[in-house]
Amino acid sequence: MTDTVVKINDLVKRYGDLIALDHFDLEIKQGEIFGLLGPNGSGKTTTINCLLSLLSFDKGRIEIFGREMTPVSYDIKKDIGIIMQNVAVFDELSVYENIDYFCGLYIKDKEKRRQYVDEAIKFVGLEDFTKFHPKKLSGGLLRRLNIACGIAHKPKLIILDEPTVAVDPQSRNRILEGIQDLNRNGATIIYTSHYMEEVEQICTRIAIMDKGKKAAEGTKDELKRMIKNTETITIEILDLPDKVRKQIASLDHIYDTGFENGKLTVYCSGGKHNLLRVLDVLQKNELSFGRVYTELPTLNDVFLEITGTALRDKED
Amino acid sequence: MFLHILKYELKNGLRNKDLIIWLILFPIVLGTFFKIAFGSIYEKHDKFSSIPVAIVEVKENPAFRQVIEGMESSEQPFLKASFVDKDKAEKLLENGDVEGIIFLEDKLRLTVKEKDIQETMLKFFIEQYSVRESIAMEAVKEAPEKAQEVIAVLTEETAASCREIPLTQGNPDVYIQYFYNLIAMVAMFGCITGMHITMQNQANLSPHGARNNCSPVPKSLNILACITGSIIMQTVCMVCCVTFLAFVLKVDFGDRLWLVYPSAILGGITGVSFGFFLGSVNRLSEKAKTAVLMSVTMFLLFCSGLMAGNMKGIISEKLPWFNNVNPAAVISDCFYCLNLYENYDRYLTKIATMCGISVIFIVLGFITSRRKKYASI
Repeated sequence: MTDTVVKINDLVKRYGDLIALDHFDLEIKQGEIFGLLGPNGSGKTTTINCLLSLLSFDKGRIEIFGREMTPVSYDIKKDIGIIMQNVAVFDELSVYENIDYFCGLYIKDKEKRRQYVDEAIKFVGLEDFTKFHPKKLSGGLLRRLNIACGIAHKPKLIILDEPTVAVDPQSRNRILEGIQDLNRNGATIIYTSHYMEEVEQICTRIAIMDKGKKAAEGTKDELKRMIKNTETITIEILDLPDKVRKQIASLDHIYDTGFENGKLTVYCSGGKHNLLRVLDVLQKNELSFGRVYTELPTLNDVFLEITGTALRDKED
Repeated sequence: MFLHILKYELKNGLRNKDLIIWLILFPIVLGTFFKIAFGSIYEKHDKFSSIPVAIVEVKENPAFRQVIEGMESSEQPFLKASFVDKDKAEKLLENGDVEGIIFLEDKLRLTVKEKDIQETMLKFFIEQYSVRESIAMEAVKEAPEKAQEVIAVLTEETAASCREIPLTQGNPDVYIQYFYNLIAMVAMFGCITGMHITMQNQANLSPHGARNNCSPVPKSLNILACITGSIIMQTVCMVCCVTFLAFVLKVDFGDRLWLVYPSAILGGITGVSFGFFLGSVNRLSEKAKTAVLMSVTMFLLFCSGLMAGNMKGIISEKLPWFNNVNPAAVISDCFYCLNLYENYDRYLTKIATMCGISVIFIVLGFITSRRKKYASI
């Protein structure tokens, strides 16, 4: 029995001249919440579709639960739950019926199915809406229904492809908490998103994708250690003479500075007490300043440094 | 698994407002409109009416008068005769009050204003009477005491030779064709449910399709359950449509209503299979597919004469093969044959054609739908 749930080797997928996946490798272990992070068009959904054998690919091999995944691998499919980016529910069926329908594709036993459906409804918090039709649900509730339809049969591997798109913050938090609960209950999760905060919040391991390639992979701490930036200091200041800025830039462990709209930004790499040393320079030059704050690197900084572009810039 | 999918396919279909509107309400509204529009015309053409004729006795002919009086007393008289003088008769003919004038001379002579079907019938009547009269007069000469008896036989035979003989057990009214086309239209609208099968099972067409393809249910089983569900749905709609037309609007489908139902159901299956096929052979979006499907369906219905009654006749002259492959025309022709022809040969040919078209569409739809992986989604 292997603890590798998903193994992708040298996957290549082309759409004409465009290379959507460029020799992509991936290995996901049992019990992980694995995040695929990247901007739109980076190849996340293509990877998922290839993984599910929905898309043909030009080269490579995909294994799930130690067996090769093909369109007729029904014994593998029965242990996979999929929550697509687009909501896939029937408008004419009620919340209960929708979950029962999709659960019924996996679970034949009626009694067991009834129990699973009830548990799924409870899990996503739709107990008060079981007789509602999807059109009557808010965006957040609809997303929750979509998730319930994908997880009701208690799959061992759950794939969530951007499940929080167009969801309000409250529902988003509930969904993220739910994903962590599913993981605690034993499911391995693959989570794709272009919201780095979400991935950072819930994923135990992350792969950053860009232009169909894996730009980096590791835990969030490992990823952050890969980059130069360890701390970013921001200080509100009305005026900053060039002379003072140069003094700050020449301090140890400071590799870059910026001044824009009355805000001084100082980028640090390693070292201790960087903030104190910067403030000391300002005080010695008798410059008054307002709010001061310091941030540890985020995945956006990681993405920025690895790909040369900010994740949000890519979205735009 | 099959029954599980089928159950939800039916629930989904029966609650789908668009389907209910197009497959049940729309035909009811259109059928009522047809009935209002063509009802009076239908009534007018419904029954044979007696031919008004003026009779001028140039020479007395009591036997003829007796035959006419005898015929007029029947339930459905062939002639409505007025014995008048020549001037009056000519005036009546001129005014169009009578179709012709029969002059009782040595021989019967007919004068008409214009040559038409009425003239042919009157001419035929005179010929029939003249032949029978000469035979009857011979008999009276031999046995004068049986004169009354001979005239009674003469009346009976003449009346019998001049009665309406229906060509068919059905309703030959030309306007009934519109109702056949209406049923054909509902059957063809089955293509909407047929296309839905494709949408629901192709991962590159809908999120439902993608989710279904990720499930451990073989695609062929999924499609089979969906087709069965669509056919059941369509059958319900066809039965509702025919029942409404036959029993609420009282459209006369002839004596073979019991065969109209299975024919309509088979037509519905043809419609479903047509939609399934057309939905499967192209990779357009759902909206684009619907637009193409409805355009093609409306074109086929137009060619079958739904919008213009004589269109099928025109196509039959210019492109006779097209009526045999146009599912809408085949369906409406099936009803037409059932209604008008005494034997079942043509009807069975149309039924066989419908079965053939349905099987071909379903098989081709299956072949194009069974693709296991997609190049793009």
